[in-house]
Amino acid sequence: MTFAAPLGLLALLAIPAIVAIHLLRRRFPVRPIAGLFLWQAAHDVPDGGRRIDKLPWTTSLLLECLAALALALIVSGATLAPSASSEHLVVLLDDSVSMTAIDSRGESPRARVVARVRDEINRIGPRGRITLVRSGERPALIAGPAAFGAEAESALAAWMPLARQHSLAAGLRLSRELAGDSGSLLILSDRQSDGTTERIVPGEIWAAAGIPLANIGIVDAHRSVNADTKQGALSLTVRNYSDAPAKRVLRVTVVGRPFKGANGASDTEILVRNVDVPAGTSSISIPLPAATPPVRASLSDDALVSDNAVVMVEPQPQIVAVDDRLKDGRGKAALEKAIGALAGVIPGSPGHLAFLDSSDVASGSSRTNGANLASGFSGTNGPPAPGVWQARFGRPAPLLAGDGTPEDFIGPFVLEKRHPLLQGVTLGGVVWTGVFPLSPGAVHPLASGGDRALIGTLAPTATAADPTFLFNLDLERTNLIRSPDWPILISNLVEMRRRELPGPERWNYRVGEWVRIRFDSQPARPLHLRMGTFERDLPGTRLVEFVAPAPGGLAKILEGDQLRYEIGINPLDESEGDLRRARTESIGKFDDARRERAIESGAAFDPIFWLLLAVCTAAMFCNWWLLSPRRVPARRSHSEGGRA
Amino acid sequence: MQPGIDWAAVQAAAAWRLVVPRTPMRGRVGERLGAGTGSSLEFQDHRPYVPGDDLRHVDWKAFARSEVLSIRLYREEIAPRIDLVIDRSRSMVATELKQRAYGELVALLASASTSMSADTRLVTSAAAPPIPLHRPDEVQRFLDCDATSGAMEELGLQLRRQSMRVAVSDFLFPHDPDTIVGRLARDGASLAIIQLTTRDEAEPDVEGGRRLVDVEGRGELDVTIDARTVAEYRARFNRLRQGLSRAARRTGATFVHLMAGATPRQVARVLADAGILEPR
Repeated sequence: MTFAAPLGLLALLAIPAIVAIHLLRRRFPVRPIAGLFLWQAAHDVPDGGRRIDKLPWTTSLLLECLAALALALIVSGATLAPSASSEHLVVLLDDSVSMTAIDSRGESPRARVVARVRDEINRIGPRGRITLVRSGERPALIAGPAAFGAEAESALAAWMPLARQHSLAAGLRLSRELAGDSGSLLILSDRQSDGTTERIVPGEIWAAAGIPLANIGIVDAHRSVNADTKQGALSLTVRNYSDAPAKRVLRVTVVGRPFKGANGASDTEILVRNVDVPAGTSSISIPLPAATPPVRASLSDDALVSDNAVVMVEPQPQIVAVDDRLKDGRGKAALEKAIGALAGVIPGSPGHLAFLDSSDVASGSSRTNGANLASGFSGTNGPPAPGVWQARFGRPAPLLAGDGTPEDFIGPFVLEKRHPLLQGVTLGGVVWTGVFPLSPGAVHPLASGGDRALIGTLAPTATAADPTFLFNLDLERTNLIRSPDWPILISNLVEMRRRELPGPERWNYRVGEWVRIRFDSQPARPLHLRMGTFERDLPGTRLVEFVAPAPGGLAKILEGDQLRYEIGINPLDESEGDLRRARTESIGKFDDARRERAIESGAAFDPIFWLLLAVCTAAMFCNWWLLSPRRVPARRSHSEGGRA
Repeated sequence: MQPGIDWAAVQAAAAWRLVVPRTPMRGRVGERLGAGTGSSLEFQDHRPYVPGDDLRHVDWKAFARSEVLSIRLYREEIAPRIDLVIDRSRSMVATELKQRAYGELVALLASASTSMSADTRLVTSAAAPPIPLHRPDEVQRFLDCDATSGAMEELGLQLRRQSMRVAVSDFLFPHDPDTIVGRLARDGASLAIIQLTTRDEAEPDVEGGRRLVDVEGRGELDVTIDARTVAEYRARFNRLRQGLSRAARRTGATFVHLMAGATPRQVARVLADAGILEPR
């Protein structure tokens, strides 16, 4: 018999402790009687410590000692197997989607990798431990650490590689930490190591189970709609990873709901046609009517199925309504010209973005004293409604203005380059005119000249929470409106506002990209992401961000049971589609010395463990039954005889 | 929960009745000879005639012989008074066997009492008034033993003068037998003391270590029940039993010790042997 944890034998000290307890304090079965006074002159048993009598070898004592012995042997990891050791094997599994490529025999690298892991499980035996690590940008454990073979088998069965192309370096680092000094590391992929970040060290094995295959995949997709012609289009970029042209069947279908196509048929299929795919990269453009629901474009099957189809959602343009309230003059004309050059912008009132003369705002105190913004306007068109961003030009309101006279600046200008409003803005050669001094702390400056703020943001208040930009600028005299910075500035402002409009930032994503969806108000019910059978909860905030999950498809954003948005998520991974780099080879070998360093393990799956556990449990149960107070009267009633 | 009394066995043993003492006793008018003068057919004495006496009782034969008017006196006939004193402490139901034996014994005594047109009352404690007993099955209502002390331990039991008294208990409580028997026998016509115990209470066996818990809450004790302890206990129990027996003899009472487990018929026979019951 050997012991995996000899220190556990210290638990044997429990046996003398039990004996001492029985010596000093006996726990007798309870017997209800009548006439206790007749017994009281008998030999009373001291409660403890006063006298040590001869140890009564009761069944209870023997059972307790037996239970303590069994527990001590369990804790010490007793085993009958001589020199038993348990090898710890860490397996890094390449989780990239190319592992699912099917060769001519109908096998995939995944299947070969799973078979290899099963062989390793059999080799290390029932006492061996295995840790399965799934590679990726954020590698994760799918079994273990130090799991038994049965657990690893079930995790392997559920493992399906879906990730985009990635380096195995992060997974290697995690696997090496898990292997430590005693574990062996096996890397299973369908390709070779890159030899740099993925370089293996002695004692590790890189086993590639891939087979070079030709493949055709969709590597990029774009869906657009022309607002003027009401005509949409689906553009596909197809890559033929071989040296020979190929023919494929392109099929475009509506996803999720029936659609009445242009030909009048109420079929979900929009288009089926044969396409010639030359070697290399080619494009396919498919016209679609505007307002066509999400469509699925697929090529006929080949080695890698996952890159043969994309789901594309028609983008819904985010229109920014601009309310131009500037006074007539050079400034207003320049603004109209700059806005006219922008797509997705329409005039509107109250709109999303209002351009105002600061003089129209009677008092800047509307922000500082909490008064209703509506009361601060003297314009004829009424005040901007809540939710309207403001860009104010000209002389600041009296409460914002400080003492002094306006000045002109020709530079140098200090710009807050990180602010999206000033991205691409240089103000080179600009004469910034009519700069009034501002009271300290009135604005948060984004651009400054000398000691004066040229552009600033007003701090939001409880009654005016929407952003307000103050341009401390006389539009009539400045040359900013003729400089290249003017349209950039206006475009940045409009795009900032556009990004804050409700809806998805984009409508089609690649797997792994961040999806951002803004809601017009706090969602009243829980948000869910549903994509086929995949479903997960989303944070219930106005701005929802999540990583587009694999394997992609039509993702529905639900608020409770109500569909709010649909977005398309697609693999579109140019690197993973190239199966020509797949290899079958094995590099490296395990370190025998390391494998012999067994990790500490318990006695699970060891028959002796279960035997000891059964003995311990039985002993404790019998002892409890023996000492159970309910048992005593029942036994006594049977022993009583009758005699008159 | 009361274990069921074997009423069939009790009824079968009801061919017995309580032995009425030969000494005169008191009671209502009935069919037993009383201590006073009455209207039975049994001649008792003569006395001189006084005006107002019933002329039907004049002994005309004596008048013929002596020319003195005298009246014939006859013994009165009474219904005996029976006081059944029962112990309702928890010790009487310490085991199911004892509980059953106790119930059947009390039912047997009730049956023997009510079958002889006696004025039977059940005395359970000094605080509660005696309960008239008309049918044997009425005792079943008083077999819930949950008191921490029995009627025998109490002073001032409401026993009637010149009544026949039957006391049932295990007497497993600290007591002076002369005092307790004298109290039960005082002003009574007769007294029968029946001690009911189980075999384990009378003759315990060696069991090893036990925590003895008194069912009447008189404490608990860890004891190793070995041969020596058992011998000492048996001696102590025998002294208790013999004390009761001696005290009963001094007062002219009858004492019998029963062990639980016998059938009502066997119990009746033991009581008959002891002179407590007799065939009808």
